[in-house]
Amino acid sequence: MSRAAVTPPGPAGPPFPRSVARGRAGLWASIVGVAIGLLFFLFPVYWMLVTSVKPPSEWLTNPPVFIPDQLYFQNYTDALFNWGGLKGLVDSGFVAVSATAIGMVLGTLAAYALARFRIGGTNLSFFILSLLFMPPVAIGIPMFLFWSALGLVDTHLALVVQYLTFTIPFVAWVMKGFFEDLPVDREESALVNGASRLRAFWDVVLPNARPALVATALLAFIFNWNEFSIAVLLSRGRVTTLPFILPTMMESHYVLWGDIAAMAALGALPVVIIAFLLQRYLVRGLSFGAIRSE
Amino acid sequence: MTALARRRSRWSGGRRFALLAVLPATLVLVALSIFPLLYSLRLSFTDQQLLSLLPARFVGLANYAQLLQDRLFWSSLLVTAAFAASVVTVQLGVGLALALALRRMPRYQQFLATLLLIPSILSSSVASFQWRSLFDYSSGPLNFFLGALHLPLLAWTADPRLALPSLILVDFWQWTPFVTLLLLAGLHALPAPVFEAARVDGSTGWQLLRYQTLPLLRRVIAITVILRLIGAFKVFDIIYVLTAGGPGSTTESLAFYNYVQGFRYFSVGYSAAMSYVSVILVIVLARAILGYMERPVGRAAAPDATGEAAV
Repeated sequence: MSRAAVTPPGPAGPPFPRSVARGRAGLWASIVGVAIGLLFFLFPVYWMLVTSVKPPSEWLTNPPVFIPDQLYFQNYTDALFNWGGLKGLVDSGFVAVSATAIGMVLGTLAAYALARFRIGGTNLSFFILSLLFMPPVAIGIPMFLFWSALGLVDTHLALVVQYLTFTIPFVAWVMKGFFEDLPVDREESALVNGASRLRAFWDVVLPNARPALVATALLAFIFNWNEFSIAVLLSRGRVTTLPFILPTMMESHYVLWGDIAAMAALGALPVVIIAFLLQRYLVRGLSFGAIRSE
Repeated sequence: MTALARRRSRWSGGRRFALLAVLPATLVLVALSIFPLLYSLRLSFTDQQLLSLLPARFVGLANYAQLLQDRLFWSSLLVTAAFAASVVTVQLGVGLALALALRRMPRYQQFLATLLLIPSILSSSVASFQWRSLFDYSSGPLNFFLGALHLPLLAWTADPRLALPSLILVDFWQWTPFVTLLLLAGLHALPAPVFEAARVDGSTGWQLLRYQTLPLLRRVIAITVILRLIGAFKVFDIIYVLTAGGPGSTTESLAFYNYVQGFRYFSVGYSAAMSYVSVILVIVLARAILGYMERPVGRAAAPDATGEAAV
C-alpha cells in the first residue's frame, strides 16, 4: 500500500517550484514522511484484517503472527452466525438507511430554506448547528427516560428517531453550503415562467444538486452506520447494531480475537468502500461544509 | 445576490414555502433536543434516583453546589482538558506536516489522502477494538516492537500513568488523518501569486511557511481546532471500550463521568446537573465555530465581513 508513495511524482512537480536542489531534498523528505504516515495509520487496519483470517492457534501467540500461513475464514462465519453479526448487519443497515433517508428529506428542505431565504436568521442556523456538537451522553438521561416512558427502549424506532438529532443538522449544514454556491438564475427563470416554488425546487434545484445529495447521503449513512454511544445508551440486546455487538464479545473469558476482528472488518467494509467512491466530497462533508475544496 | 433573492421572494410567496420547508426539521429537532434539555433542567434541581421508589424532592441548586465539591468532577474536567489540549496540538502539528508533504505529490494525492483517511471514517467502536488488540500485553504487536528494540514492555491502558496517553494515541491515530485532509484542502485554496511574490523576494521555505502559509491558513486552522476540541469534549466511545474510565479514575472524562453517575449509580438529578454544565461549555464552543463558519470563505474583504464578525 505504501509502495505507491515511493513512486516519484511526474513532470507536474511541486506547485511552487524553488531551486531544484532544495526542491528535490524537500520532495524526498515529503515522500518519506507520507510513507511513515501511511504505515502508522494503516497498520492497525492491516492488523485487524490479518487477525480476522487467522486460525485460533495464532490469535494470542508471542511473537505475534503478522503473515498467516493460511487464510482461515471460519472467523467470519462465527462472527456472522454465532455472534449475531448477520442480525447486526441487518439492524445496522435498517437503522442507518432509515435515519439517512428521513434525515435527507427533512435536512435538504431545511437547508434550502436556510440558504435561499435565510429563514430564522442566524439563530435558527446556530441552533441546528449546535446540535451537531451536543455530546450524546449529556442528553442521555432524559433521552433514556423519554423512550422508556413510551415503552420504546431497545427498538429500531428509538434509534432511528434519535439518530435524526445529528443526521438532520449534518445534512442541513452541508446542503446549505451547496445551495449557497448554486446560482439562483435558473430557479428565477423557472419562477418567472410560472412554476411554483415547490416545482422550481423539485425540477430545477434538486437535479442540479444531485452529486451533492448523493455525497451527503453516503456520508450521513457512514455516521449512522458507525454510531456507538446512543446505541449503547438505548439498546439492551434486542436491537443490536454492529458497533454495539463488539463490546459484548469481550465478555467471555477467552478473548476471541479472530471473531472480534472479523466482526470489526464487517463493520468497516461498507464504510471504506463508500469513502473510496466519495473521495472528492470527503473533506467538505466531514467538515460539515465549513471547508469547500475544489 | 441573497438580498435580491429575498426581495423577490416577498412577492412570489417564497417565504411561506421556506417556512413550510424548514418546519418539519425544526419541529423534530426541537422535540428531540429542547424537550430533553428542559426536562433535564428540571431534573437537575431534584434528588431523583432512577431506581428509587421515593418521590424526587426539589433540592434547588444543591446538585450544582455538590458538583463544585466533587473531586471526581474536577478530575474529569482536568482529564478532558488534558486530553483536548494534547489532541489539538499534536494532531495539528503532525497534520500540517503531512498536509505539506502531500501537497508536493499532486499525482497520487487524492488516492493517498483517502487511504490515509480510513481511520477517521471507521466506527470508534471498531477503532477501539483494533487498539485493544494492539495494546495486548503479551501478544500485542506494540509490545512486540518494543521488545524487538530492547525497550521495556508497557502495560498501556492498564498502567495509571499511561492510560490517558494511550487514549490520546488512539485519538491521534483516528483523527490526525482528518486534520491532515482539512489542512490540505486549506492549502489548495491559497492564492498562488502570494507565494510567487515571496519566492521572488528570496524567502526560504521556512519563512514562507511562517509568514505566508500559516497566516493565510488561519481560518482553516481555527475550524480544525474547534472541530477537534468539540470532538475531544465528546470523547466517550474509546474510553468505554478501552479503559472504562480506569485505572482508578485516571481516564474518566467529563462525558464518561456523566455516564457513570447517570447510568451506573442512577443519580439522575446529579447527572442532569453535570449535563447542563457540559452543554453550556459545548454551546460556548459551538458559538465560536459558528462565528468562523458564517464568515465568507476565502473571499477577502467581502462587504459583510465586518458585520458577520460580530456574531
